[in-house]
Amino acid sequence: MRVGIPVLDDVLGSLPKGKTLTYYIDPEVEGDVFAMQTLYTNLEEGYRCAYVTSTMSPSSVRNRFREFGWELNDFPGFSMVDAYSGFVGSVSEERYVVKDPSNPSELDEVIKRAIRENDLVVIGAFSAMIDLCGEDFIRVAENWTREASNAGSRLVLSFVAWPYGDDVLEKVKDMSNAVVTVGGVHHRVVLGYYYGLLKADWADVNGIAVLFRLVRPGGVRAYIPKILVTGPFNAGKSSFVHAVSNKAVSVDRLGTTVALDHGHVEFKGFSIDIFGTPGQERFDPLLKVLGKEALGVILVVDSANPETFPRAKQMLEATTRFGLPYVIAANKQDLPNALSPEEIRKRMALPENIPIVPIVAKDGKGVYDVLEALLRLLIGGKYDKS
Amino acid sequence: MTSLREMLENVLRDLKSAGDIEASAIVSRDGLLIAADISQNVNAEAFAAMTATMLGAAETATSELGKGIPDRVIVEGKSGKIIATGAGSKALLVVMTNPKANLGLVLLELGKASEKVKELLGG
Ligand SMILES: Nc1nc2c(ncn2[C@@H]2O[C@H](COP(=O)(O)OP(=O)(O)OP(=O)(O)O)[C@@H](O)[C@H]2O)c(=O)[nH]1
Ligand SMILES: [Mg+2]
Repeated sequence: MRVGIPVLDDVLGSLPKGKTLTYYIDPEVEGDVFAMQTLYTNLEEGYRCAYVTSTMSPSSVRNRFREFGWELNDFPGFSMVDAYSGFVGSVSEERYVVKDPSNPSELDEVIKRAIRENDLVVIGAFSAMIDLCGEDFIRVAENWTREASNAGSRLVLSFVAWPYGDDVLEKVKDMSNAVVTVGGVHHRVVLGYYYGLLKADWADVNGIAVLFRLVRPGGVRAYIPKILVTGPFNAGKSSFVHAVSNKAVSVDRLGTTVALDHGHVEFKGFSIDIFGTPGQERFDPLLKVLGKEALGVILVVDSANPETFPRAKQMLEATTRFGLPYVIAANKQDLPNALSPEEIRKRMALPENIPIVPIVAKDGKGVYDVLEALLRLLIGGKYDKS
Repeated sequence: MTSLREMLENVLRDLKSAGDIEASAIVSRDGLLIAADISQNVNAEAFAAMTATMLGAAETATSELGKGIPDRVIVEGKSGKIIATGAGSKALLVVMTNPKANLGLVLLELGKASEKVKELLGG
C-alpha cells in the first residue's frame, strides 16, 4: 500500500501494515484532499478501504471525491462509516452506521470493527470528533492505532490543527507512526501551500517540504512554479517547451523567440510551469528577469553545432549561478553529424554526474526523459533520504 | 486573522468595485502569479509571465535610452486596455479595462492599489 502523494511515495516507499499516519493540517488550507487521495489510490489498487464521515452526509462525501474525478461507487472494496446521519435523524444505508454519533463508546466500537474488517480506514475529520467528544477522546483514538497495529490494518487521520492545547497537539503527533504537515508558505514572492514529512518511524527521512496545488480533477500535485529552459540561438528551446507541455505559448517573431516561451505540464504527480528564454544575445537582459526564482534549469544545445557550445556554457553559468540543479538536453540527434552525449560532455567540460539526455525536440523524442532527469535531481537533492 | 493572500485579493476586489476594471492580477517581477481576479478560462499563469516580460522589456528599453524607469505600460486595443505598473521591487500590478474606461480614473485607482500591494509585500 502507498500513501498516493507525490514525493512522499518516493521517500516513504510504502504505508506498511499496522501503521497510523496523520495529516496534520493548518486551518487555512484545504487539506482534507490528502487523506481522500490516500484512500482513493488504494481503492484503485484493489484494497478494502473505509472512510469515516462525521461532518458531512455520505452523499456529500461522495460528491467531494467527485470534485477530483474520484468515483467511490465504482469500487466494491469501498465502504462508508456513517457517523453523521444519526445527528440529523436520517436513515443510513451505509455498511457501517454509528446510530448515536455523540456516544463515544458506540463510535469507538464501530470504528474498531471497520479497522478489523478493512485494509485501510480513513478518518475524514478527526478534529471534529475531538470538538464533539472532548479532548479526552484522544485516548479512545489511541486504541484505534493499537487496533490497527494488531489487525495488520492501517489508519489515516485527517486532523485540522485548530488552536487546541499544546498537549492535545503533541498527543496527536505522538500517537501516529507518521505525521505529514500541510500548511501555507510565504517564501519571498511565492504564496503557496506545502506539505512536509515531520516523521515516519519506518523510513529514514529528514524534513522534506514540497509545494503543492490542487488540480480538479486530479488531486494533490507537487508544484514546481518555474523551470527555466535556456540555450543558444536556434538550439530548439521553443520546440522543447511545446513538445513537453500540455499547453504552451511562445512570443516568437520571424522565427525566433523575442520574449519567452511559457508552458504548463502535468507529469507523474507534478504540476510544472516551464519558462523558455530567448537565445540571441541581444535579449540577455530578459534572462535576468526570467531566471529569478527558478528551481531548476534545462540547457538545450544543438548537438550538431559545437560552435555554439561556448555560448551554451556561458548561459548555463548565468542561470545556475546559485547552485541550481541542471540537466543538458542534447537536441537534434536526428541530424547525421550530431555529437553523442559523451562527446558533448567532453567538449563542454561538464562534470560526470550531470545528466546529458539525447533528444529530438521537433518529434518530441526523449523530452520527458529530460524532465524526469531534472525531477530526480530536484527530489534527490532537496529531499535526500540520508 | 486574514492571510496575506486574502489581503492581496481584497486589493484586487476593491479595484474592480471602482468600476471599468474587468480583470486584474498581482505578478512577481519574474513572472509568477501571486494573486488574480481573472475569469477561469484565461490561462492566468501564461498571462502573468507575459506581463512581467512586457514590463521588464519596457523598463530595459527606456533605461537603455537613459530615460529612467517608466511608470507604467499601457497596451491599447479595441476591446480594452491592459495596464501594467510596478508595485514595489518584488511585484507588479496589471489590470484589464473595458473599452470605454475612463483612463484618468483607472490610473488613479491603480496608483493607490499599487501602493497597497507594495506595503503588503514589504517594499
Ligand atoms: N533536425 C532538427 N531540427 C530541430 C529539432 N528541434 C528543433 N529544430 C529546428 O530548429 C529550429 C529552431 O527551433 P526553435 O525551437 O525555434 O529554437 P529556439 O532555441 O527556440 O530558437 P531561439 O528562440 O531563436 O533561440 C527550427 O527550425 C526547428 O524546426 C530537432 O530535434 N531536429
Ligand atoms: Mg525560441
